[in-house]
Amino acid sequence: MPDVILKNLPFLLQGLWLTLTLSVWSIALGTALGLVVGTVRFVRLPVLNAAALVYVEFIRGTPLLVVLFITYFALPALFGYHTTAYRAAVLGFVLFIGAYLAEDFRSGLRAVRPTLIQAGLATGLTRWQVLRFIILPQAIRRVLPSLFNQYVRLIKFTSVASVIGVTELTGAGLLVNAREFQPVTILASIAVVYLVVCMLLSLAGRALYARFAVRT
Amino acid sequence: MTYQFDWTPIWEARGLIAEGLLVTVAVSAVSLAFSVVIGFIVGGAASAGSRTMRGLALLFTETMRNIPLLIHMYIWYMAFAFLRLPAFSCAVLGLSLYSGAYVAEVVRTGIGAVGRGQIQAALASGLTRLQAMRLIIYPQALRIIAPSLASLFSQLIKDSSLASVIAVAELTYQAGAIDGQTFRTFEVYITISLIYLVLVTAASQLVLLIPGSRSEAAAGRFADA
Repeated sequence: MPDVILKNLPFLLQGLWLTLTLSVWSIALGTALGLVVGTVRFVRLPVLNAAALVYVEFIRGTPLLVVLFITYFALPALFGYHTTAYRAAVLGFVLFIGAYLAEDFRSGLRAVRPTLIQAGLATGLTRWQVLRFIILPQAIRRVLPSLFNQYVRLIKFTSVASVIGVTELTGAGLLVNAREFQPVTILASIAVVYLVVCMLLSLAGRALYARFAVRT
Repeated sequence: MTYQFDWTPIWEARGLIAEGLLVTVAVSAVSLAFSVVIGFIVGGAASAGSRTMRGLALLFTETMRNIPLLIHMYIWYMAFAFLRLPAFSCAVLGLSLYSGAYVAEVVRTGIGAVGRGQIQAALASGLTRLQAMRLIIYPQALRIIAPSLASLFSQLIKDSSLASVIAVAELTYQAGAIDGQTFRTFEVYITISLIYLVLVTAASQLVLLIPGSRSEAAAGRFADA
C-alpha cells in the first residue's frame, strides 16, 4: 500500500465506515419507501396514487445533487428545523432511491399473472391477503436484479454526500489530499475501494437472483 | 411554517439561470455524443468473436461503471491536473467514460437481441463483417435499445449537475451562486429541479423519434428493463 494511504488509514477507514452506514440506512429505508409507493401506484389508491406519481416524477427528473441541496438547505429553511449533513444525506438518498425503486416494484407487481390474482380471490383470500401472500413475494423475486442495480448505483452516489460536507470515503479522501497533495494515489485508491464494494454487491445480487429467480 | 416565499429574486436572476442552462445543455450534448461513440465501439467489441476483444470490453465497462462519477471528474480535474484541461473538458471526459460504459452494456444486449440469422445472412450475401455490423445489425439494434438509451440520456443530463463540483458554471452551479446572493434557497432549488425535469423529459422524447423505436416490441423490452 502507498505510504500516504497507510499513514492516513484510520481516517480513510472511518470514511469507508460512513459510506457503508450511509448506504445501509439509505438502502433499507429507501427500499421500504419504494415498496410502499410502488404498491400504492399498483393498486391505484385514489388520492395517494396522484401524490405518489408527483413524487416519483419529480425525483426522477431531478439530479441527486439538487435533491441533496434541497434536503440540506431548502427543506430546513422552509420548515425551520436543524439538521446535520449526515441526516440530510440519508433523507436525500432515501427520497432519491425510493422513487426509482417504486417504479421497479410497480413493474414487478404488474408482471404477476392476473390468473394468480383471480385464483387467490376465488379461494376466499381478501385483496390484502392476495397482495401480501401471492403478488408481493413473486414481484420481489422478479425485481431482484433491478433492485441490486439501484443499490450499486446508490453506493456510487453516496460519494456526492461529500459535496454537502459528509466525510465519507470521498470526503475523507479529499481532506487527506488537501493535506498531502497526492491526488493520483489517493483518488486511485478510493476508486479501487468503490470498485470492489460495488462489484461484490452486484455479485451478491446475481447469486440471490440465481437462488430465488421466478421460473416462467 | 413561517417561511415567506419570494420568487422575484429568481426572476431577476433569469439571465444566470439561462447561462447555466446553456452550459448544462452543452456539457450533456458533447458527453452524449462521446458516450454514444464509446458505447458503440465497446459494445461492438463486447459482442465480437475474439476473446481478447470481449475481455478488454468487459474490463472497460466494469471499471468505468463501478467508479462513482464524482471520482471520475476529480481524477481528470485533480489527478491529471498536469494536463491543464479546462474544467469543462474534465466534466465531459468523466461523463463520457462513465456513461459510455452504460451505453456499451445497452448496445451489447441490443446486438444480442438481433437474430443470429441476420448476421449469417449478411455474411453469406458477401458483406464484410464491418459492413454487416454497420448496415444490418446496428440499425436494428438501435431500434431495440432506443428506450433504454432514452433513460440513459436523461440520467446523463441529471449527472451533469456533478460538474458544478469541479466549478463548471452549469445550472446547479448557478443555482448555488444565486442562493448565495439572495438566500432564496427553496425557490432556487425548486426552480432548477423543474428546469431539469423539463429538460430530461424533452431529451427522452427526442430519442424516441428514432424510427421504429416506439413499436410494440421496443415498448415491451423497455418494460422489462
